[in-house]
Amino acid sequence: MTRPILYGLLVATLAAVPRAAAPVTQEPAQRTPPSTVPKADTPVGDPRVNQSATALQDFKARVDRYIALRKTAAGSAPSLKQTTNPAEIKAAQGGLAAAIRAARANAQPGDILTPEVQAVFRKALAPELKGHDGEHAKQVLKDDAPPSVPLKVNAPYPEGKPLPTVPSNVLMNLPKLPMELEYRIVGKNLILRDTGADLIVDFMVNAVG
Amino acid sequence: MRRLLAFVILAASAAALGAQELRLPIKNGSVKFAVIGDSGTGDSHQVSVANELDMYRAKFPFDFVLMMGDNLYTGDSPKDYQRAFERPYKTLLDAGVKFYASLGNHDNPNERLYKAFNMNGERYYTFKPPNSSVRFFALDSNYVDDKQLAWLDKELAASGSDWKICFFHHPLYSSGETHGSAELQRGLLEPIFLKYGVNVVLSGHEHFYERIKPQKGIQYFIVGSSAKLRMGDLRTSDLTAKGWDRGYGFMLIEISGDELFFQEISDKGETIDAGSVRRTGKTEPNPGRSTQPVEQAPPAPRQPVAR
Repeated sequence: MTRPILYGLLVATLAAVPRAAAPVTQEPAQRTPPSTVPKADTPVGDPRVNQSATALQDFKARVDRYIALRKTAAGSAPSLKQTTNPAEIKAAQGGLAAAIRAARANAQPGDILTPEVQAVFRKALAPELKGHDGEHAKQVLKDDAPPSVPLKVNAPYPEGKPLPTVPSNVLMNLPKLPMELEYRIVGKNLILRDTGADLIVDFMVNAVG
Repeated sequence: MRRLLAFVILAASAAALGAQELRLPIKNGSVKFAVIGDSGTGDSHQVSVANELDMYRAKFPFDFVLMMGDNLYTGDSPKDYQRAFERPYKTLLDAGVKFYASLGNHDNPNERLYKAFNMNGERYYTFKPPNSSVRFFALDSNYVDDKQLAWLDKELAASGSDWKICFFHHPLYSSGETHGSAELQRGLLEPIFLKYGVNVVLSGHEHFYERIKPQKGIQYFIVGSSAKLRMGDLRTSDLTAKGWDRGYGFMLIEISGDELFFQEISDKGETIDAGSVRRTGKTEPNPGRSTQPVEQAPPAPRQPVAR
């Protein structure tokens, strides 16, 4: 699949999926990516296109379900709010993480980043690690990478370890996330991280080559 | 032996006094602030920089401190906040000096909730000191996404004729061997800076000091050695106006009218670099280039600092 087609799919799919009632999602992009409109000659009936669109729609739905679950879980935890006392931040973060963990006790790797979604992500990311920008992206990932991060759903991101910077070109090629979630790439693996709870929500091994 | 010791102490004191000099004009009504970067180790180097900041404040009464990220290296427990922030800067905090933080790659984004960092609960934010014509924009260069870019575009557009100073962790221009220029972030941020006439950009991440030659009319500084040092990492390049990777340091800045005065100071109180930049351009937005380019000016006269 060519890159313009993939860009088009990402944008078109996310725009097409209706928003859930509760989640706060990121604003639409003002910056224009290299190519956001599918070319006129995109094969409408191409089964590969349909599979990718379906996978991304499914990803969006799974993310929305996580956010809904998180909102419910947050109701039983101390709220994350501004404070002069760092202990309150730590307690709220830990409380939220515990509540989410309990609500997702049976969560498994791939629950959100399904094999189909992972295949789409890999195709989207591969070109971003080639050429001039790709070399920079690899360098960024290498520079800031912590020695190791245990890949485990519901595990906290290890305290005191750096959070690797996400190369901007890579970030721009992934579907947008609600503010409660973010992507991080550790080594070759992609982590879906809950920012407030400091929790690994899901992960994808060998996301970048 | 006692005489010799007294002589050594006297000589050391004299040398320290000689090293302490303020090269900022201290004008009435000016905006005065300090800059620290990569400061959150909690070790003796952070403390020595903090002590020097205290001493300089007696002469140069800055109101706030900008933090370039990596504010807490070892974790985010209450003890980490105490060790790497509250204790080293206690004198300044007690004196009412405000700290404005940006996030580095070693920071848990939940630091945004810590009130003493004045981030308003956000990963990126803007503020303007009262009765000033300077607006600051703290960005999260770890995670430059469409949402942040749209926010920056909107906020800069609304900032009018103010001085526009952006600060964040990753330097868009750098002569560091370990990291170098953050070109990916630069590709996204610089066009917006130019569109709205950002004047000055401050960063850390590299554990040294570097003043970059103005790039497209924007003055860039790297202040990333306020507790960490990567000695010998600075590869002086065509970008470098002045660099120093031999010790720890911080920066003082004063803005008065169209002039910005700066002084980089080591943890021993020595002046590493000093000078000023002046806004010279028009203030209306003009897409494609900086509308408020800066130019280098001669350094301000020296003034001794009482210890």
